[in-house]
Amino acid sequence: MEADELLVLVAGGDQKAFEDLYGLVSGPVFGLVRRVVRDPAQSEEVAQEVLLELWRSAGRYDPGRGSALSWVLTLAHRRAVDRVRSARAAGERELRMARRSNGPAFDQVAEEVEAGLEREWVRRCLDRLTALQRQSVTLAYYDGYTYREVAERLSLPLGTVKTRMRDGLTRLRDCLGGVA
Amino acid sequence: MTSLFRRSDLHSLAAPYALDALEPHEHKRFEKHLRRCDSCAAEVRALREDAVRLAWSTAAPAPAAMRDRVLMAVRTTPQEPSAFAQPPARAITDRYGERAPSRARRSGFSPFLIPLASTTAAAALVVAALFGMQAARTQDQLAQERAQAREIAHVLAAPDARASAGRDANGQGMSVVASASQRTAVVTAAGLGTPSDGRVHQLWLMRPEEKPRSLGLLDGDTPLIATGLNTNATSLAVTVEPSGGSVQPTTAPVVQLALESVGFGE
Ligand SMILES: [Zn+2]
Repeated sequence: MEADELLVLVAGGDQKAFEDLYGLVSGPVFGLVRRVVRDPAQSEEVAQEVLLELWRSAGRYDPGRGSALSWVLTLAHRRAVDRVRSARAAGERELRMARRSNGPAFDQVAEEVEAGLEREWVRRCLDRLTALQRQSVTLAYYDGYTYREVAERLSLPLGTVKTRMRDGLTRLRDCLGGVA
Repeated sequence: MTSLFRRSDLHSLAAPYALDALEPHEHKRFEKHLRRCDSCAAEVRALREDAVRLAWSTAAPAPAAMRDRVLMAVRTTPQEPSAFAQPPARAITDRYGERAPSRARRSGFSPFLIPLASTTAAAALVVAALFGMQAARTQDQLAQERAQAREIAHVLAAPDARASAGRDANGQGMSVVASASQRTAVVTAAGLGTPSDGRVHQLWLMRPEEKPRSLGLLDGDTPLIATGLNTNATSLAVTVEPSGGSVQPTTAPVVQLALESVGFGE
């Protein structure tokens, strides 16, 4: 069964459907959260919160408004970014150091992944962006920086960063177009 | 920076918004803007789908133990009422009793705009604290809820975290998520109502051959976080006590829940 149908069943309190949904989305949710949060223990905690939140708030999902997976991953991304920002604000230095030493570049994520094919395409398409488009998008999405922080890190005006983000995402769409 | 955006500036925030890259005050402001700007709403919807492609490529197997913990938590966590399975008149009425524009329901991002309905369980705090509930809460309340949410997530993340729940025929009961190794439990009462004459519900830890230990006063269905629990504790009990609570229970418990199944007791 597709995630969209499962979410509707989950909203009705179906625990079995939730188990199936878990099977579908836990990998993407966990992988995304870990990509952003980095710290394994914190990643697990955040991913767990997200998955529990899916159970609690499945009723908010409106199938008419977009795919269930995009809803789920949008939620996961927001939680991960919240966590990484509050950790930064709290001055968790190790996290920042780890981040700095790992760097933001996409191809440095040397983790085994299930979504190999999609991953390969995304990498290829990211390579086709200009360096500034790619950095603007990945610093924000994978590293949880606000566009103001991105502008600071790249020494660019705010307006330029906003434009690079939009152009980067749009170009990614054109490149990935038929690969869903 | 200036806090006054011109409208044209607001339009340009769609991409950073889709990447979750706005500062909190801009985020709030842009979400307000989204409710009236169809072109931004459409743009955000499309850009979000693009951003999600970036997410897919990071998928990695989740730790096996996480599955057990989440499925366990799900068994005792009540759900929010569905926003979309309700009669239309209710589904588009927001928490202030006003009718939200129906456009907001179709615009692709409104999971984040629709306020929470009543929240009743431990996990609800996790949701509430993180889900843009700021509008209805003071900063103090919010900070407190965030701290609680963190605490609850912490208990849930313990390797030996377990959950249990019980209700009597009248729908009165409580649920608990507890970790014996951390000696911590998150306790949520359900269906107890408010005692009359200013009296209160007080939560007790029952131990063999010792007097009950007060864990504090319950405030409706707000989860109570109890720390430093004795590992030989046998059960939790709720009694009705005079205003301010008692040193020892003065009435028989209205509900009681055994702790054996969550790893306590000898
Ligand atoms: Zn606009």
